Amino acid sequence: MSLLKTFKNGIINENPVFVQLLGMCPTLAVTTTATDGMGMGLATTSVLIGSNLVISLLRKVIPDKIRIPAFVVIIASFVTLIDMFMHAYAISLYNSLGLFIPLIVVNCLILGRAESFASKNKPVQSIFDGLGMGLGFTLALTILGIVREVLGVGSVFGIQLFGAAFKPAIVMILPPGAFLALGVLIGTLNWFKNKKAKNA
Amino acid sequence: MREVIKLGSILLLITAIAASVLAFSNSMTEGVIKDVEAAASNEARKEVLPQADNFNSIEEDKLSDIQQQNNKILEVYEGFAGEELVGYTIKTATPGYGGNVEVITGISVEGKITGIKVVKHQETPGLGANATGTDFQAQYIGKPVEKEVVVVKTAPTEDNEIQALTGATISSKAVTNGVNIARELFNSMLSK
Repeated sequence: MSLLKTFKNGIINENPVFVQLLGMCPTLAVTTTATDGMGMGLATTSVLIGSNLVISLLRKVIPDKIRIPAFVVIIASFVTLIDMFMHAYAISLYNSLGLFIPLIVVNCLILGRAESFASKNKPVQSIFDGLGMGLGFTLALTILGIVREVLGVGSVFGIQLFGAAFKPAIVMILPPGAFLALGVLIGTLNWFKNKKAKNA
Repeated sequence: MREVIKLGSILLLITAIAASVLAFSNSMTEGVIKDVEAAASNEARKEVLPQADNFNSIEEDKLSDIQQQNNKILEVYEGFAGEELVGYTIKTATPGYGGNVEVITGISVEGKITGIKVVKHQETPGLGANATGTDFQAQYIGKPVEKEVVVVKTAPTEDNEIQALTGATISSKAVTNGVNIARELFNSMLSK
């Protein structure tokens, strides 16, 4: 598979959230605003690229039988490293993203890509897979964040959209709103896809 | 049997490498993180007591006395403008909706609240988390320390009233409780 195709695959064809339904926990939990969704997505992307690269490099060293514990150790180390360095050298970024970083350890998207892609492909390919999947994840979380923020708070990226007369539906920024928004979004996307398939 | 030992030692090797990388980075970043945190706390104190340009923690004994009476008080700092004492910053932790809400309250020696800042919380994003917004926090500025600050749901009419955040009365009350604890501490001990 070409690098570009690998990259595109992660963003569109196999979008981690809308198609593979991976990493649902952060998807539902941190998309109350567009900014938070995007922050979580970008933090995940950086971990994903790093862990994909290392796992791909070590794919011949790690025996099949202990691959899962080995992957978990590598991913957790990466997350901790990013957490420490960000805290020390990029405090403003840490203040806005720091909350999400520990959550990445338990994101099944990272383990999923390690298992199904990085452990079977060359390092450069794996970096592109990490980048594509990461940006696909970021895109999905940002869209979800925008939808929930517009309906639930009446703003987008913190900028007020409507006048005082607009009464936001607070349910959209509470947990049930996450399920509603995600369900409707996936349904709409599938509807478009089916329609396209029928016409073709 | 032999395979188990082989797999075990490979896993041991991987975890040992991971541990040493982490230990090394930890020793590298530990000091920097401490400095950054200290600078951030100082910055926060300055925000709530803008008149002061340097801060000193009150003596250990005095602080532990205060904490024995009220364990919600975390830190008390004296703020100085040059040599002159201009006020205090008091950090409190009061229970909110999702855990403790840590608030720093600045009080001038004249007995006015000079500012508050929510520094740590786990309130609901989009609702209680809005307590970190400047609009909400600015409401406390200039309140006199003599009267208890109370939370109301409509536009405030008295000078000791604060308008609650929409849909987040518990969080608003948690912040206000912290401010009131700071106020009482000032009235009972610090103003003398």
